[in-house]
Amino acid sequence: MPSTLLQLCCSAMETLAPKLPSLKVLNPSSSSSSPSCSTARSSSSLRAGLRRPFSLSISASAVREGDPAVGSVSLGHVTRTDFPILHQEVNGSKLVYLDNAATSQKPTAVLKALQNYYEAYNSNVHRGIHFLSSKATDAYELARKKVAAFINASESTEIVFTKNATEAINLVAYSWGLSTLKPEDEVVLTIAEHHSAIVPWQLVAQKTGAVLKFVNLDETESPDIEKLRQMLSRKTKIVVVHHVSNMLASVLPIEEIVLWAHDVGAKVLVDACQSVPHMAVNVQDLDADFLVASSHKMCGPTGMGFLYGKRELLSAMPPFLGGGEMISDVFLDHSTYAEPPSRFEAGTPAIGEAIGLGAAIDYLSGIGMQKIHEYELELAKYLYENLLSVPNIRIYGPVPSGNTNRAALCSFNVENIHPTDIATFLDQQHGVAIRSGHHCAQPLHRYLGVNASARASLYFYNTKEDVDDFVRALNDTVSFFTSFK
Amino acid sequence: MISSPFIPRVPLSSSSSSSSSSSSGPVMLPYLSNYPRPKRNDFKSRNLAFMPLKCIHNSRFDSSSESDARLPSFSASCLTATEATLASSDLVADRLRRVVAEFRSLPEPIDRVKRLLHYAALLSPLGDSARAPENRVTGCTTQVWVEAELDKLGRVRFRADSDSEISKGFCSCLIYMLDGAEPEEVVKVKSEDLADLNVGLHGKAHSRVNTWHNVLIAMQKRTTALLAGSE
Ligand SMILES: Cc1ncc(COP(=O)(O)O)c(C=O)c1O
Repeated sequence: MPSTLLQLCCSAMETLAPKLPSLKVLNPSSSSSSPSCSTARSSSSLRAGLRRPFSLSISASAVREGDPAVGSVSLGHVTRTDFPILHQEVNGSKLVYLDNAATSQKPTAVLKALQNYYEAYNSNVHRGIHFLSSKATDAYELARKKVAAFINASESTEIVFTKNATEAINLVAYSWGLSTLKPEDEVVLTIAEHHSAIVPWQLVAQKTGAVLKFVNLDETESPDIEKLRQMLSRKTKIVVVHHVSNMLASVLPIEEIVLWAHDVGAKVLVDACQSVPHMAVNVQDLDADFLVASSHKMCGPTGMGFLYGKRELLSAMPPFLGGGEMISDVFLDHSTYAEPPSRFEAGTPAIGEAIGLGAAIDYLSGIGMQKIHEYELELAKYLYENLLSVPNIRIYGPVPSGNTNRAALCSFNVENIHPTDIATFLDQQHGVAIRSGHHCAQPLHRYLGVNASARASLYFYNTKEDVDDFVRALNDTVSFFTSFK
Repeated sequence: MISSPFIPRVPLSSSSSSSSSSSSGPVMLPYLSNYPRPKRNDFKSRNLAFMPLKCIHNSRFDSSSESDARLPSFSASCLTATEATLASSDLVADRLRRVVAEFRSLPEPIDRVKRLLHYAALLSPLGDSARAPENRVTGCTTQVWVEAELDKLGRVRFRADSDSEISKGFCSCLIYMLDGAEPEEVVKVKSEDLADLNVGLHGKAHSRVNTWHNVLIAMQKRTTALLAGSE
């Protein structure tokens, strides 16, 4: 039954899409940032790569509203068709991809945008006066505008492209941190931070004499925000926290944390790697000083991430890396630096990847982040409740309840079976892709008293059937290893 | 069965017949049966020094019992002491070939996993003291410990353990291949040679989660260090 619905829905999409009179108007982000390309040819070729997501949101809602019989088709069923990679067999089983917190898959729209860039207007940016270069520059800068609009930054110059979130955090640590932190200054983090948010600050603390202070978990197995509040003082110079935990699935109240931090004159860097892809994030509402995310976790290409920084902060920060792009004038003994964001983008950037990220943002916006978030909350609950049925399982992080939402991921262990053995068997025998290990959160694992855990993480293109397949496969895995003992 | 102080700790499948075939069932390889027996006093000295281990008794199993690896006691594919030999230079390459052939003969992933679990069960656990941080193999998503020492004949003796059964299976196979080999032979093995053993890790010879690769490298590093120390 679902497969017929799916087919129905897909064919509806195929037939609807070409008939749309004007795709551009229907995309929320394209009206605010219409392609700034100067020729008709360029703007149409840019849009060509972006067409699919628009048709998607329209066809999805058209199908829903127009035909009550298909009203039960989930967002996962509708969007799966946009991800060619999901439709394959792995080790003889249908692939069930549940490693989205590590990286997401890419929809056709993004693949097309990349291909189109390399086929039609690959050129270096900001330096050539020729046609292709100006077209590539426009598209690259348009991608920056899309990112800015996506997180509601007030200007696109507040967006610095980096190669990933890790580089963005390093940028803040080395540029802002090294020039600001003094001995005895404090950096407040939680033990649930990803290594990429811990290690750069360790390196900078070693150089500056600043002190790192870590907030533990509370009894609900979420970072203890009361303790965090108490830890803040005039010594605190920056608070570095995740928005959504990649292991605990917990969500931190960033707005409150920012208020508390600003009260003592501290800045806040938000690691939004696991929130920006899954919910509407508004940097102005949060009032965050810095915020980072990675393109590859939000349907975009690898090799691309971004730093949002408040304009006045970025303007006062020294460069991180030196080279082309980031200078104003170079003399033999010194140079003057370009304004942000160029100051922080030394060398030829990842142009195609930035454009690909722009296409991913169009795709996500075409669906609507609120819709994605609501669907994922439903999936999160379904995943958690069904996983609990597995014998001897321990799921980490807060128990979902009325006011505690979890992200759509579960890290867990099953008694006496190594998570890597579980992940290996799930892959080999069932084609289910999950992660095993410490998920770059060793301090957190140590705190929880384990060396490793398994993690299943979902995205909007997953379905409840994926969860069912996974839980069934996990039960089989557990009985396999149990019978071996 | 001749009783001998030498009991191979990690025997791989053996069979009375040396003809391996591509028939449907798992192909059992005549592991060491064709190899010259070691001189008795050779292994006496060595194994007294380094072999506490659980006795794996011989069973000339047939392939049907072996294929049900859920019953390790039945399938324990053990070598008799008479068949056993210690690895020497040409044996490493040969054992490697045989292990590769054995895993290749198992087209079903579940059978490869079962085989690994079977070999894991044959590996005697390390004591808590050997599960020390300095013995940890870095880079694995599981915890793996490797210990190495040179015996009186200057050959490398390995012991290994893991908190994961599958990793333990990898260790078991590596020990089968390398334990008792000349240091030069140990160092010579390339991780690409293990590519076919990549149960669960197809074609990721350089992946940071590739336990085969990481354990092999660890064994080679320990060997190099032992050599440097003994000079
Ligand atoms: C919470 C969190 N922070 C940071 C990162 C690092 O992202 P990247 O490796 O793309 O820099 C990740 C990715 O695993 C993450 O989940």
